Amino acid sequence: MTGSARVECELRASLPADLQAVEGFFVEFRRRSRTLLNRVNCFAAELLVREALTNAVVHGCHTDPRKQVRCLLRLKGRRLLIAVDDDGEGFDWRAAWSRSAALADCSGRGIELLRTYASHVRYNDRGNAVTIVKRLGRGEHE
Amino acid sequence: MIVVTREDDRAVIRPAGDNIVAASIPELRAKMHGILEEGVRDLTVDLTGVDMVDSSGIGLLIAAYNSLRKVGGRLAVIHASTELLELFRAMRMHRHFSVSGN
Repeated sequence: MTGSARVECELRASLPADLQAVEGFFVEFRRRSRTLLNRVNCFAAELLVREALTNAVVHGCHTDPRKQVRCLLRLKGRRLLIAVDDDGEGFDWRAAWSRSAALADCSGRGIELLRTYASHVRYNDRGNAVTIVKRLGRGEHE
Repeated sequence: MIVVTREDDRAVIRPAGDNIVAASIPELRAKMHGILEEGVRDLTVDLTGVDMVDSSGIGLLIAAYNSLRKVGGRLAVIHASTELLELFRAMRMHRHFSVSGN
């Protein structure tokens, strides 16, 4: 974590594309987020980071631990920035973005969760990097 | 440890740990599959102590619901936190099965 007058908290990590490594990351994530955010915003922030990291590991890198996934989290005022990129080939985010899972579908809700919980989501053209902004509501940020 | 309480064709399953997420899904899926194979038709998932369910976890619950529906069974989720209730509503899961909070 680095701190300054402008950036309240910053966390960077580079992980192998492995779901257990993602869980290891969240031990540290929770330790830090719980000192900075209230319960509601902790949940939303973790959910967004989880979806971004899981997409990168599973869909971007096909859970190949020789590939890397990088994550930057930056909390500044009431604005949380989440940036995740991976060594994979990328995916067709434009098609995925416009699609909603049918009620009985067992998959395809990751992007829908990003749409629901994020204030802003932007992919690069290749689809192997995503930047998410979550604006923390008034009274929610502690 | 995943805890299962069984009575006839009814079962309550309590996931291990505080997450139902991509990394923990295989173990929970195998346990649920086994329960359904053994003839359980009324399955309750107890989320006491569960803080996080991601899209993979939602997918698992929908899959369990789909399997039970095919055999005339029923799925219920109980003891969900306020945040999880909001998530399930946003993902329209309450249209499939009963979801209740703490």
